[in-house]
Amino acid sequence: MSTHSSETLVVRGACPQDCPDTCAFLYHVEDGKLVEVTGDPDHPMTRGGLCVKLKNFAEHHYNPDRLLYPMKRVGPKGSGMFERISWDEALATIKSKWTDIIAQYGTQAIMPHAYLGHQGTLNGLTAGDAFFNRLGSTVAEKTYCESGSSTAWIMTVGPTGGMDVESLAVSKYIIVWGMNMLNTNLHGWPFVLKAKAAGAKIVVIDPVRTRTAKQADWHIRIKPGTDAALALGMMNVIISEDLYDHDYVEKYTLGFDQLKARAAEFPPERVSDITGIPVVDILTLAREYAGTQRSAIRQGVAVERSPGGGDAVRAITCLPALTGAWRYPGGGTIEMPIWEFPFKFDFMCRPDWIPPGTRVINELDLGAALTGAMPLDPPIKSLFVYNSNPVSQAPGAGTIVEGLQREDLFTVCSELFITDTAKYADILLPATMQAEQLDIMVTWGHLYMHLNQPAIAPPGECVPNVELFRRLAKTMGFTDEHWDLDDWEMLRRCYDWDAPVMKGITLETLKEKGWMRLDVGLPDERTPHATGDFKTPSGKCEFASSLAAGGNFVVPVWRSGYEAMQPGTPVDPVPNYIPSVETMMPDGASAFPINLVSPKPHAFLNTQYANEPTQQRRQGEQIIVIHPIDAGPRSIEQGSYVRVFNDRGAFEARAEVSEDVSPGLMMTNVGHWPGLNRSGTAVNSTTSTRHCNLGQAGTYSDNRVDVQRV
Amino acid sequence: MTHVVTDNCRGCRYTDCVASCPVACFHVNEVRVYIDPAVCIDCSACIPACPVHAIVEEFDLADDQQHWIRINAEAAQRYPVIRARLPPLDGADARRQQLGL
Ligand code: SF4
Ligand code: SF4
Ligand code: SF4
Repeated sequence: MSTHSSETLVVRGACPQDCPDTCAFLYHVEDGKLVEVTGDPDHPMTRGGLCVKLKNFAEHHYNPDRLLYPMKRVGPKGSGMFERISWDEALATIKSKWTDIIAQYGTQAIMPHAYLGHQGTLNGLTAGDAFFNRLGSTVAEKTYCESGSSTAWIMTVGPTGGMDVESLAVSKYIIVWGMNMLNTNLHGWPFVLKAKAAGAKIVVIDPVRTRTAKQADWHIRIKPGTDAALALGMMNVIISEDLYDHDYVEKYTLGFDQLKARAAEFPPERVSDITGIPVVDILTLAREYAGTQRSAIRQGVAVERSPGGGDAVRAITCLPALTGAWRYPGGGTIEMPIWEFPFKFDFMCRPDWIPPGTRVINELDLGAALTGAMPLDPPIKSLFVYNSNPVSQAPGAGTIVEGLQREDLFTVCSELFITDTAKYADILLPATMQAEQLDIMVTWGHLYMHLNQPAIAPPGECVPNVELFRRLAKTMGFTDEHWDLDDWEMLRRCYDWDAPVMKGITLETLKEKGWMRLDVGLPDERTPHATGDFKTPSGKCEFASSLAAGGNFVVPVWRSGYEAMQPGTPVDPVPNYIPSVETMMPDGASAFPINLVSPKPHAFLNTQYANEPTQQRRQGEQIIVIHPIDAGPRSIEQGSYVRVFNDRGAFEARAEVSEDVSPGLMMTNVGHWPGLNRSGTAVNSTTSTRHCNLGQAGTYSDNRVDVQRV
Repeated sequence: MTHVVTDNCRGCRYTDCVASCPVACFHVNEVRVYIDPAVCIDCSACIPACPVHAIVEEFDLADDQQHWIRINAEAAQRYPVIRARLPPLDGADARRQQLGL
């Protein structure tokens, strides 16, 4: 803390959002009120700026709709009618309901539901894991995003941080694969621009001509869900034209012969048919990529959002080992560098408390789990939602709403606002916002550790998640030491402060400086895998994965640290192209002719800030982007209101007719609150709950719909 | 939506804004800069950087400033991108004083 002027107190913090940039904040506080939140000008990534999403972040803390007190439902489920109660009453109600449920059905009739509505060590993804493991609830698999990529990455290169996004500045050839960086990784873009100014070529692979694609030297339009075919096609060219790094392959990779055989199945002509990319472009891409050293691939999460998405991430992750790109600073691939941080997940999640044999339910299957479409014994009798909003963000929203309406389901939500999900709660619990709580932020986009220090007092009776679970633990009669630890002590135990990467980093230095870089080398010199050192069982980049023998798995961090009860479905040791189910249906085989993709919004962070009038103005209403060839015959014009539908559900949007999408492809954004949309629904009313081939990730991009003017 | 550079920039060309922009969307001519609305990502990082308060978010433009949206969009097509700071024009400080800033 330092005093900025006589009245303004400046407190260091960091962005709580599920965004790879994890910006360093400066909270400006006057008379105990948060007046402004700015980016730290000294932070190498933040560089003094935040983003459009967080523009009114200070005001967001004072939004009059904020949930400030515990509430109980007083109207029908979903009516949004609640009445204030005390924390004591809320906790006593939860205890009595749960005690009855446990007596009759057992602890597994209770299911938590969480994701990354907050990205802190104490209050984020794993905030409730220790509590629910101790309770013996069903283990919820949290695979909204990144889980497919995580499994793929670990199967191929192990839990390594990989390339640093800042190293892009010294790259000579950059492929941004399935990511609209200008919208969702904007603080990484200056490094791309720096490389470009020094002569690097920037290639964007994306089905949509995004803002980022428009800034690239070359935009390659790919059919959604066909990325593995392109990566294998590139390998086909690289191997058959002998453009690969023999020495690197021999010393630091495993399974080249098998990969070679697989790549041989993907000649450019076949890949062109699959991906929609001209043969000549496939050849050029492969030759340029292999022929330009210091080549980098920035992988986005869009790649995993199809049935074959896991293998696509594996195939892409094999490329830099094939060409030896890892030898050079600015060479390699970035997926998420989170694995560099020395978390102590065993303390954070306490998997040792999970009763043996406990079942796992995937969160994306929530609708089926609640409605009984998925046979469960015992059934789910209570749902506890925090850091997430499944009615908006999970696929198959219609079924989820149906499940949440069940009179015999006891639902508790810890929230900032009464969201489309929280509307169905029986008990609402008020959560703090970022300026009101202490945490170390988890980041998946760079290599800095950030301490977020509270700048203002929580309003009303809001509590941080970590305190919420302490209160619940005490209410349920748990007497373990864990529930007596204060926040600072918990932070101390959540990390291995003696790990080599933590050189010079302590809670005390973080308190003073706010953020510090891990000791992992400098971005323009760093070569984490110049001589192998992959974190796989073999220590090599595994083109043929030894972990495939155990079948499909979800990395334990996405499932409360639980190792058992993995899906275990067979996995090919060598990455393959697995066609999408809906996108790749032959014309006429589906009643729904158009494929719909639904990336993140520009001015909202998933659903967060989508209830702020200023942000609604910046984002605009729910739109779909449709190609003129699809719009014309349907009499859809620029600005027409349309209904997008399939056999799962429907939503309404305003049409933008544009060639930024291809014929047969439409784009909308996820994040608008269904309840604030014209139709009361949003895109996830149409998405399917099918899982990606690895890590149980969602397949939001494999979604056939039709559209009509309303 | 976008951000626009308004009249205050003319004759000053303090290019502090350029250094703060993460996406290189400023374009420059002899007397001032413009923002390319197709590239601007609305982060507002440039607003506090400008010493003469020349940059405004589209929605905050006064009624008599609306024409700057079109002017920026057109000028961005005509003039080259500027990626690094330039020295301010001669007379920039005088203009700044004249604007009372
Ligand atoms: S959402 Fe991302 S870019 Fe925006 S302030 Fe947070 S970390 Fe930075
Ligand atoms: S800092 Fe302000 S005055 Fe200077 S060039 Fe940028 S917009 Fe113009
Ligand atoms: S708002 Fe952000 S992106 Fe737009 S011109 Fe300013 S700094 Fe650049």
